[in-house]
Amino acid sequence: MDADEIQTLMQRAATLESNAAAARTAGEEAAADGYFHSALEVAVQAVNRSAAEGSLQVRLNALRATARLSLDCGQVVEARRLIAEASDLDGFREQHEQWAELRDSSAWPDGWLIAAVRRDPPDSAALDELVERYWKTLFGRCLLLTANYEKANDLAQDAWCRVLRARRSLKPGGNFPAYITMIATNLWRDTQRSAKRAGPMAEHRMSSLDAPVVSEEGEMIVLADGLPDLKARESDEHKLLAMDIDRALGQLEPRWRDVLVARFITGESAAEIGRRYGRTEQTVTGWIREAIGQMKVHLEEPAQVAGGET
Amino acid sequence: MSNEISVEQLLRWRAARAEAEAPPAPRAARLLELARPWWETWPERFQRVVERLGSIQIAYGHAMAEPVEARRSGYPVPTLIVRLREELETSVCVLYLGVRDGRLRLRFQLEKAITHTPETLEATFVAQGFTRPLFSAPAVLSVDNEYRVDCELPEKLARDWKELKVTDRMPFRLILRSDKDGP
Repeated sequence: MDADEIQTLMQRAATLESNAAAARTAGEEAAADGYFHSALEVAVQAVNRSAAEGSLQVRLNALRATARLSLDCGQVVEARRLIAEASDLDGFREQHEQWAELRDSSAWPDGWLIAAVRRDPPDSAALDELVERYWKTLFGRCLLLTANYEKANDLAQDAWCRVLRARRSLKPGGNFPAYITMIATNLWRDTQRSAKRAGPMAEHRMSSLDAPVVSEEGEMIVLADGLPDLKARESDEHKLLAMDIDRALGQLEPRWRDVLVARFITGESAAEIGRRYGRTEQTVTGWIREAIGQMKVHLEEPAQVAGGET
Repeated sequence: MSNEISVEQLLRWRAARAEAEAPPAPRAARLLELARPWWETWPERFQRVVERLGSIQIAYGHAMAEPVEARRSGYPVPTLIVRLREELETSVCVLYLGVRDGRLRLRFQLEKAITHTPETLEATFVAQGFTRPLFSAPAVLSVDNEYRVDCELPEKLARDWKELKVTDRMPFRLILRSDKDGP
């Protein structure tokens, strides 16, 4: 009778967990949170019962389910306590693989890390893991936007600060890397808007956005001196090429840079970019072609060095 | 050595290289410190500023004399501009306010011109009669010296402000800080 009761509680918890997952998939975060917390309450009851009445196997299963639900709810300390409790029990070693994901935060899905970060106070270890997981990608994107190592570092850090200030509204079921990239891109766009207003060429630059596309050339760039094999090992040529690309990006009208990164790195379609700018797909296709043309021009220009041209 | 490559390939290669040469990720403690709101970092200053903000008197006569339909913008919002070495009492004129999908979109203009108009100000929204801030968000300088705020609202505020119109008396006062200013 007691084992049945624990089993019933576990099944209820599993049903609630399943409802939570469905709600999260549907983007209903508040409902998902509600289900997860209800599931956790039921699972805790099962753990408490199993302490007095369950078999070792039943107790380990209840502890594992409860630890997992604790992580779904962002309760990292509680999850770790449950894991530690389980690890003291006989039979834990036999279930080692089943516990591995729970024990190793580097294996946690984003949802668990985000749930832990949005709590008060946020779990530092979970935040460290989340930052580490996406820092390089974020930095790479920021470097393409800013074309400057220091500015890219600042932008990536600012994006994280912005995310953390609004961390309570983070959605564990959302696409976190896309979200933080969007935050960084928006921050960069805001800076560019301000810079554009201040710039003496602002009006001229704006008018060029609607100008007819003059270049119908293809995307291929041919450099007289040839390009190093991009797949080859690191070389001085690679360093120079990286500098040339940064210089060319830096010379590009910020909006051109934005559309190139959006199209080729983020993978947005011309239609998607157009929706963001309130322009047609055809207009954006023209922008992309123009941006490619300008990149080609800037890449073929000799680099300016202090004291003269090379 | 090849001599022909697409811009897409070049950008992807540059992005991959940038990822490889990325500086170490900042630690959680550092990011949390940086993200900490200024009123928690400097509570005494916040207290003093909020008291001064509460004491700003605005003449609403002109705004109230106009019929609601005729008003282009709303009541002036008492505002304190806080800079490194000075504080300036003023008000802002709300030109647009919209709350939709949990986001606040706001445009405003400062009533008093300030020297060296910053490109970004941190706008701290303080409820009338309360000493705690509601939230803060960046206000970015836009055309015609307008500042623009576009941010996610706390759930309760998103509900409470949903029906708020630009011609309503605003349920908040503002503290505007330059991003880089310390206590």
